[in-house]
Amino acid sequence: MSLTINTTINGKSVSASAEASTSLLEFLRDTLEYKGTKLCCNTGECGACTIIYNGKPINSCVTMAADANGAQITTIEGLADGDKLHPVQQAFIDTGAVQCGYCTPGYIISVKALLDRTKKPTAEDIEEAVSGNICRCTGYAKIVDAINLAAAKL
Amino acid sequence: MDYFEPKTVGDALSLLAKYGEQAKVIAGGTDVMVDIKYKEEPGCLVNIKKIPGLGAIQENGGSLRIGPLVTIHEMETNKLVRERLPVLWEACHQFASLQIRNTATIGGNICRASPSGETLAPLLVLEAKGKLAFAEGEKTEAFASFFQGPGKSSIGSKGLLTEIDVPYPAPGSRGVYLKHAVRGAMDIAMVGVAVLVTPDNAKNNVQDARIGLGAVAPTPIRASKTEALLRGKPLTAALIKQAAAMSASESSPISDQRSSGEYRRWIVEALTRRGLEQSWRAATGKEVA
Repeated sequence: MSLTINTTINGKSVSASAEASTSLLEFLRDTLEYKGTKLCCNTGECGACTIIYNGKPINSCVTMAADANGAQITTIEGLADGDKLHPVQQAFIDTGAVQCGYCTPGYIISVKALLDRTKKPTAEDIEEAVSGNICRCTGYAKIVDAINLAAAKL
Repeated sequence: MDYFEPKTVGDALSLLAKYGEQAKVIAGGTDVMVDIKYKEEPGCLVNIKKIPGLGAIQENGGSLRIGPLVTIHEMETNKLVRERLPVLWEACHQFASLQIRNTATIGGNICRASPSGETLAPLLVLEAKGKLAFAEGEKTEAFASFFQGPGKSSIGSKGLLTEIDVPYPAPGSRGVYLKHAVRGAMDIAMVGVAVLVTPDNAKNNVQDARIGLGAVAPTPIRASKTEALLRGKPLTAALIKQAAAMSASESSPISDQRSSGEYRRWIVEALTRRGLEQSWRAATGKEVA
């Protein structure tokens, strides 16, 4: 059964159709061509597909595309201002928090959501905010450095 | 696959009656979406998130009435849940990840009826009840009898959970929820133990003890023989040792990829002991003698 989905992505109104069984991740990547949001575990365990949905970070792989109807969605593509990277993106580069890069969009979205909630996150806030994101390369220390740097700059 | 967004409980029940076993109720979707991808697609998906009135937390005299669409994160950030139902709050706080907590609902965690469902052992020790709606009418059922096996509950394929009523624990009682998993975040519990202890007025004897065990039987269970053993007695180290061993013997864990049954039994013993010690200390201000 095909549904018409009217949603707002990175401030832009979008209308497209999707099967009822489609995940929001598939809808974003395959229908709307927002390829920045990554497909990884596809079971809601790794955080690579994290997006901001009505202000909250969620895993788009275990959310129905149908739930995008009427929602405000932010993906990694919505962060930079033209050629100027978002401070969180720049902080990940400056601290070397990116290695293979596959988990990075999900991390950056989780961190953006954290810094939208609180300007001065504690170590505990940081740990909680990214505990649903898995990185197999960095060992996490540099990611925490990036978050602290981004918080200081924002 | 057919798809519906009913606007009333009645409309949802009509769809469930019409589609029978083919219908699947979806709310947050964090479990159902995985099933659709890797198990099978149901004939019909009934998204209940558009039904108004199922997403509130309200105080009702001596209990909290929780709508099934309340997300785990809404539970975690609710002052009443935190202050009045700390054992349940702890389970919500340790639930998966922030991303999942923002989506997954308390009603989904219950109706999924997984033996390892994070909130279930706490709901059992709090003696919570569910309001279940069926086409023939409504009934209230204690969660003590609600769970019937892995993925099976008395809601069946035709009912809808419309409210969760969680009584406040007795004044002076204290409890804990202890989860054993490899990682802190995202991991499903190998064992979850909820303990609630009420000392008598003199804080010498156990007036009431409740122990809920998760992930160690076909359903979440109460260790009722252990509870009976503890009732009316001073909580000594020797009694705790005996109770912990009994609690382990009341469990019937399976071996799976997360751990062996034998290991799970050891963990039930350890967490029961720790849970009783911590709850007693919190309730009485005294160490276990």
